[in-house]
Amino acid sequence: MVPRMKKSIKNIISVGLALSIAAAMATTAYASEPYVSYNYDAWNDAIPSQSGYRVDETITGFEMELNKLAEPGSKLFISEDEPTNLSNASDIFYEDSTEEFWIADSGNNRILRTDSNLKVIGCYKGVSNSKTAVDAETGLSTFSNPLGIYVSIDEKTNKPILYIADNKNARVVKAEIESNTSAKCMHEYTKPDSELYANSSETFNPSKILVDSAGILYVVVSSVTTGAVVFDETGEFTGFYGANRVEQTAAVIRQAIWRKFASNEQIASMTRNVPVEYANFDIDSEGFIYTVTEAANASTDAVKKLNPAGENIWNTATGNEFTFGDLPEFANVDTSSFTSRLTDIVVGKDGIINLLDYETGRIFQYTQDNDLLFIFGSKNSTSDQKGTFVAPNGIETVGKKIYVIDGKKNDITIFVETTFGKYVHEAAALFEKGLYEDAIDPWNEVIKRDGGYALAYYGLGKAYLNTGDYDKAMENFKVSVSKGSYDRAYEYSRDEFLRANFTIIIVVLIILIVAIIVLRKLLKKGIIKLPKIKKKPKEDK
Amino acid sequence: MYEFTQLGWLKHVIFHPVEGYDDLRWKKKGSMKIALVIVLLLFIAMVVDKRLKGFQFNDSYVKVFNVVPLFVQSIVYFFTWVIANWALCTLFNGEGTIKRICIYSAYALTPYVVGTFLSVFISNFIVRDEIVWMNVIYYVGLGWSIVLMIQAIRTVHQYSFPKTLLSIAFTLVAMLIILFLLVLLISLFQQVYVFIASIYTELTYRFRG
Repeated sequence: MVPRMKKSIKNIISVGLALSIAAAMATTAYASEPYVSYNYDAWNDAIPSQSGYRVDETITGFEMELNKLAEPGSKLFISEDEPTNLSNASDIFYEDSTEEFWIADSGNNRILRTDSNLKVIGCYKGVSNSKTAVDAETGLSTFSNPLGIYVSIDEKTNKPILYIADNKNARVVKAEIESNTSAKCMHEYTKPDSELYANSSETFNPSKILVDSAGILYVVVSSVTTGAVVFDETGEFTGFYGANRVEQTAAVIRQAIWRKFASNEQIASMTRNVPVEYANFDIDSEGFIYTVTEAANASTDAVKKLNPAGENIWNTATGNEFTFGDLPEFANVDTSSFTSRLTDIVVGKDGIINLLDYETGRIFQYTQDNDLLFIFGSKNSTSDQKGTFVAPNGIETVGKKIYVIDGKKNDITIFVETTFGKYVHEAAALFEKGLYEDAIDPWNEVIKRDGGYALAYYGLGKAYLNTGDYDKAMENFKVSVSKGSYDRAYEYSRDEFLRANFTIIIVVLIILIVAIIVLRKLLKKGIIKLPKIKKKPKEDK
Repeated sequence: MYEFTQLGWLKHVIFHPVEGYDDLRWKKKGSMKIALVIVLLLFIAMVVDKRLKGFQFNDSYVKVFNVVPLFVQSIVYFFTWVIANWALCTLFNGEGTIKRICIYSAYALTPYVVGTFLSVFISNFIVRDEIVWMNVIYYVGLGWSIVLMIQAIRTVHQYSFPKTLLSIAFTLVAMLIILFLLVLLISLFQQVYVFIASIYTELTYRFRG
C-alpha cells in the first residue's frame, strides 16, 4: 500500500510539474485589441488606459449578402454583373425609427439599404422622374459617385425620404422610396444661380448633407469655403451656414499687414486667405450641428458645435478650452511627424461625440463637456488585421455600438463597448445630468478597472462635494488634478471648520491679546522681569 | 554706538536699507556663517515653493521632481553672482573683497527667502480668491531684496548710485559668460570622459577576445 501510494504521489507531482512547465512555455493566446488604448492625463501626457471598446466583427459584402443583388431569382436582383462587394463606400447613416442603415457605396454608384444587422434589404442605382444623367436602358437617372446620404421620415406617409449627395452629377437628390430597388425623385437641388453663390465659387459638387427637423437641407460642397450651402424646405437656396475662420498662421498675418501697403493691382495678384471648408457634420437630437474640419492638423475650428444661428458654442475665445483629437506631442509614437485629419463626427442619442481621424484611424470619444472618454481604433497598412482601418471614411453610432466604414478594405467594423466602457458611459451619463451621487458606484467600478482614469476621480470629487464630504472631495480632486474644484472644496471645508470652531478661536485670540498687553504693561513698570534666556551678546573678536 | 550680535546686525541691515550696510561696513561686521546659511535657506525655500505650496496654487509638474535645476538656480547662481561681481568691480575701482560681497549679497537675500517661506505657508490656508495675500508677501520680499541688493553692492564697492546699477547690469552679463564657459567646460570634460571610457571598453574587449 505504502509504496503504491508513494508512486501515485510521485505521479501526481510529475504530472503537475509537466503541466506547469507546459503552461509556462505556452504563449497565452488572448483576444486583445490591435492597438494600445491610451488617454490623456492632466498634464496632457498620453498614459495607457483600459479599452472602452472592442472589435466585435467586421462586415464585408459577403456578410451583407450583397450577392442577392446579382442572383437572378432574388427579390433584390438588379443585374448579373452587379458588384457583390462594397467599393470605396464613403458614408453610413442610421435611421432610428425604421432601424435601417443606409450606405453610400460610392465606388459602385449605388445606395444600399440594410437592416439593423447590416443585411441588405434594398439597393438604389438611380431615381426615376428626373432628366439628369439618364441611363438609356433603364430610363433611370443614375447616381455618379454618391458621397453622402441622409434619410428622414415623411410625417404623412411614414415613408423614408432619401437625400443623396450625388457628387459627380452636381446635385442633391431628394427621393421617395417606391420599392426595395426603385425610388422616385421629388426634388433636385442643383447649383444655385443666386449671385451670392456664383461669386463665391464655380462648382457645386456636394459631398455631405444633412437635413434638420424643419426640412432645411445643409450641403457641404468642397469648393465652398464660406460654410455649408443651405436650401430651405421648398428647395430655394438661402445662403451659407457656419463658416470656419482662417487659421492665424505667420503667413496669413504677414499678408494681412502687406495688404495695408499694397496697391490694388498687387492685392489682386495675391492669393486670398480663405478658411478651410469643413469635411463633415452631424446633427444631434436638439438640432445643434457639429462640424469637423479635415485639413491636416487644423487647430482653428477643427470641431465646432453650431447653434441655429451658425455660431460656434464651443468657442475658445470665451476662455473655455476645447481640444479635440490627438495632441501633437504624443500623437505618434511610431512615426516622427504628427498629422491628424478628423474626417467624420457623429453624435449619439446620449450626446456622446465620436470623432474619426482618417490619418491615424483613431476614434476619439467625448462627452458634451469635452471630457475625453476613450481613444480606440488604429490604422494598419497591411489591412489584414481585424479592427484596423486603411481608409476610414465614415462613422456611425447606434446605441452602444460604433460602426466604422472603410473605403479601401470595403468593410464595416463594428465596435462594442467593454465592461469598462459600460461603467464609464453609465457614470458619465449620470455625471452629465448632474446626478453626481448616483454616479459614485459606477465611478468606483471604473477605478477598479483603471486606476489612472482621471475623470472618475473628478466625478467622485464632485459627488462628495455635493454631499458635503469635503475632505474626500479634496482627496479625489487632488488625484484628478482639478485645481479649481479642489479650491472650491477647500473653501467649503475651511468655512465649515471656522464655523464650527469660531468661538474657540475668538476666545483664544482675545486671551492672547489681553495677555500680551498685560505682560507689556507689567514689563514696562518693572513688576516682572523676563528671565534671561540668552547671555548678553558675546564680544566677537 | 551700534553693539549687536551677528543676528542683530542682520536685522539692523534688513530694517535700515539706507544706512544699514554703511554701518555694517564701518563696524567691519558680518558673518560668513550666517551668509552661507541664508544661501542654503534660499535653496530650501525654492524646493519648498515647488513641493509644499497649496495644491490649488502649485503648478509644478509633480510626476518628476528634480532638485538639480533648483540647486543651480539658487546656490550656483549666487556664487556666480559673487564671483562675477568681484571680478568685474575689482577692475572698476570697487573696494569690495570677495568675502564682503558674499556676505552683503547674502544678507540682502533674507527678505526674499522669508517672503517665499511665508507665502508658501499662507498658500496652504487660503483659496484662490485670496491669492493677493500670497502674492503681496512674495513680491514685497522680492522688491525689498532687490533694494537691499543694490544697497549692498553700492556700499561694498563705495559706488555712486548710477555706477551701482551699471555694475549690476554688467555683473549679470558676466554671470552669463561664466555660466556659458562652465557649461562648455563640463561638456568638454564629458567628451573626454566618454573618450576614455570607450578606449577602456575597447581594450577590455580586445583582451578578452
